[in-house]
Amino acid sequence: MASYSFIYASVLDSEEKMLSDLATLLNENQILNPERYGFMLVVSEAFTNALLHGNQLIPSKNIYLHVEINKNQLSADIIDEGELGLKQIEAKKPSILDEPNGRGVDLIRHYATDAIFTEAENGGTKVSITLNRKLEKITY
Amino acid sequence: MEITKKTENLVTVLCLKGRLDLASGAGLKDEIKALMDKEQNLIHLNLADVDFINSSGLGVLVSIMKEIRMHKGRLTLSDLASYVQEIFEITQLSHIFEIFTSESEALTSYQSVSAN
Repeated sequence: MASYSFIYASVLDSEEKMLSDLATLLNENQILNPERYGFMLVVSEAFTNALLHGNQLIPSKNIYLHVEINKNQLSADIIDEGELGLKQIEAKKPSILDEPNGRGVDLIRHYATDAIFTEAENGGTKVSITLNRKLEKITY
Repeated sequence: MEITKKTENLVTVLCLKGRLDLASGAGLKDEIKALMDKEQNLIHLNLADVDFINSSGLGVLVSIMKEIRMHKGRLTLSDLASYVQEIFEITQLSHIFEIFTSESEALTSYQSVSAN
């Protein structure tokens, strides 16, 4: 099993940095599409939520990403240091078709085999995502 | 994300390359706003080289579509990779965007509209 940990400041540029880091480690582990795309998508959605809704783009607050890869699963924990992220996820209403926002959690739930939203030990939000490999429901 | 621009008749074609997400989407919004300011409101986005799009990227496209419609223009998309197309279908955005298989097919549709 390969595991990786990263820490990002809550600034807009961190999303690009995180996606580049994630692409690199998926390349290292020879994870190809559709698993690659599905995993990058769900991690990016959780990361964006942590950045905007959890940490509210306060640069001093961190986002912690832990990724594990084995032959059966891809998994990630995304943890923020905010106070409102979990409440916003719990209060989420169905997305409106012509509104720009509100689709991230829906996409996580669609692509992930399992997605658990809990309060982290630091009081922030922890999103734990698992994708079973060779998942039949992801078809391209 | 890289954006290259060309004009085909009255249609501005933007070819996007790379990731369309929260950070990169701002540049695309600025580009569209500049086009609207110049009253170039017929816009086609070729997404052939977009290798990643998430809900933030979709949100940018929805904002752009609303901006263009506000200026009585038209937005078309083409050349979506299969996994990008799937996200449009999952989110049902395929119902509100005009999506074509190819750029040439999309541009032909503008000629059809102007002929009518």
